[in-house]
Amino acid sequence: MVSTVQNTDVKQKDSDHAVVVAVASRAVFEPGGGDGVYAEGVAFPLLQALQKVNERLLEENSAESLLFDIVLITTDSQQQSSQLISSTKHYGLEVSRFCFSTEEDFIESLLKNNVQLFLSTDRNEVSQTSQKGVLSALLDEYTASCPSEQLRVLLCGDTVIRPDTNPTPASRQAAQSFSAQLGKMRQRFGMSDSPLSITLMTSCGGRDSCGGALQTLRSLGISADEAYCLAGAPQGPILSVLRPHFLLSDGFSGLED
Amino acid sequence: MSLNTGQSLTVSGQDLTKNGSSSSRAPWEDARTVLKPSTPTRKPKPPKPENAITIAVSARVLFTMEKEQQIYEQQGMEDYIKYQVEHETEPFSPGPAFSFVKALEAVNAQLRELYPESEELFDVVLMTNNHANVGLRLINTINHHQLFIERFCMTGGNSPIGYLKAYHANLYLSADPIKVREALEEGIAAATMFTPEKMTEVSETQLRVAFDGDAVLFSDESERIYKAHGLDKFFEHEKAHENKPLDHGPLKCFLEALGKLQKKFYAKGQRMDCPIRTYLVTARSAASSGTRALKTLRSWGLEIDEALFLAGAPKGPMLEKIRPHIFFDDQMFHVEGAAEMGTVACHVPYGIAQRVTKRGIWDKETSSAPK
Repeated sequence: MVSTVQNTDVKQKDSDHAVVVAVASRAVFEPGGGDGVYAEGVAFPLLQALQKVNERLLEENSAESLLFDIVLITTDSQQQSSQLISSTKHYGLEVSRFCFSTEEDFIESLLKNNVQLFLSTDRNEVSQTSQKGVLSALLDEYTASCPSEQLRVLLCGDTVIRPDTNPTPASRQAAQSFSAQLGKMRQRFGMSDSPLSITLMTSCGGRDSCGGALQTLRSLGISADEAYCLAGAPQGPILSVLRPHFLLSDGFSGLED
Repeated sequence: MSLNTGQSLTVSGQDLTKNGSSSSRAPWEDARTVLKPSTPTRKPKPPKPENAITIAVSARVLFTMEKEQQIYEQQGMEDYIKYQVEHETEPFSPGPAFSFVKALEAVNAQLRELYPESEELFDVVLMTNNHANVGLRLINTINHHQLFIERFCMTGGNSPIGYLKAYHANLYLSADPIKVREALEEGIAAATMFTPEKMTEVSETQLRVAFDGDAVLFSDESERIYKAHGLDKFFEHEKAHENKPLDHGPLKCFLEALGKLQKKFYAKGQRMDCPIRTYLVTARSAASSGTRALKTLRSWGLEIDEALFLAGAPKGPMLEKIRPHIFFDDQMFHVEGAAEMGTVACHVPYGIAQRVTKRGIWDKETSSAPK
């Protein structure tokens, strides 16, 4: 059974224009906070970064409607709903609403809430969600060490990083339209001092595959800040310097798939 | 794609140059049915960073971006980016590092011929502070000049240091002295490259690299003595310590990497006409202080092809004769002298000599412009 609760502490976003991002509650909160409140999870800097983008967007234009609409979603019955709500309020997180669902129906919940991006630390959840055409990305322990002052998104221009998923036309479409929204948000800021940074990386192909990906991004209205072409070099060392909050891997290739 | 099939396409250095262009298709490619269509069959696969000798170059030293640099300094970032995008299909002209990179590629071509399976090759990575918006123009330029650069980092204003380490960079060349210093502090061989007014012609088939001795290949320990106590004391000290190897300097490992490749040519009987040639160009004198330098190199198991002891004479004319693709020195006086005579000279901002540099040159180069 799915139930949605609005967070009365936070002003609700314009559903026609906002970009709905759902984050799994187990990524945001961990047991062990004390005083009836959960401890910070790995996704904390990510949430703070999303909030920073909203803050800066409203600074540029107080009537801005292209904002992140953050939803906290439970994907199992492990965490207590009341404690999730109280923890969210305790940390002052800009979560618009809570979706309380279970393993069986959380995807339905994502679809009902028009979620454009789902973030979770659970590989299976991410995989299942992708299969159903909802853009999703995996968070891990590295996410915890990402900056909280700038949202860093990595778009992968070639070979999918997660070999267990097959890019479907629907998931490619979802990736492209979400990224186009990011691209629009990015345009609200200048070249330097942006709270949002978009990075393109191609891992296998050479410079022409990166060039193709840059052109694909441009056709989607996305202006990348940084670009890395690895041409087969190991990704790990580069990713640990880049520190993206999450990676999106379908739909940016300049080549025919 | 197996390394073998990639290498069999390489018949000679010339073919490699043709392969670099994305528009040409060689006749043998139509016969190829074994490989996946999406696999690039024309270009050799870049070596793994841990096997290769990685040379990281910034955009401003690889290409000439004077006009754009001016726009950045006078009109700011937004106009700079706009200009770059508007001129995206216009390739940049070669910069001071261009002939050096071409020579590296020529060496690679010869190494691939002799050792088709080996990944001990030069790998050139474009390491630039530029925003990805300038990316297409840079890629178009690389294609236009048929360079072999497949790896790049466009950091959008962030520091390149972490990426230099991620690539195990053996050498970093930039126009920005601040980044160069940072790299040196992190133990990465680095030098600030300057553009000579005119560039003398250099070989297209033999890579020539020239090094100053003290505070470049060797530590600055002897230079300190010279600065503190004068020339006579310096000579005395060096003679007395002739058999004590000097400590190593920031570019010692790069010389070592070159030596490793040279030995591969020697093993195939190419000692006399080796495609890599190294030079020591030092103010030390053959009569007195030179011996310690040579003995130090020997103790490190390193060879240098030619050692030129100038006993304090200017280096410019000698370098003009040698025609190296690149020359490293820790003293701006020598870097400028070399550049005046058409040699591509790089400053290694290391050691005691940095305390007494002229202010003027530093100010010109300390802008935080994209490279």
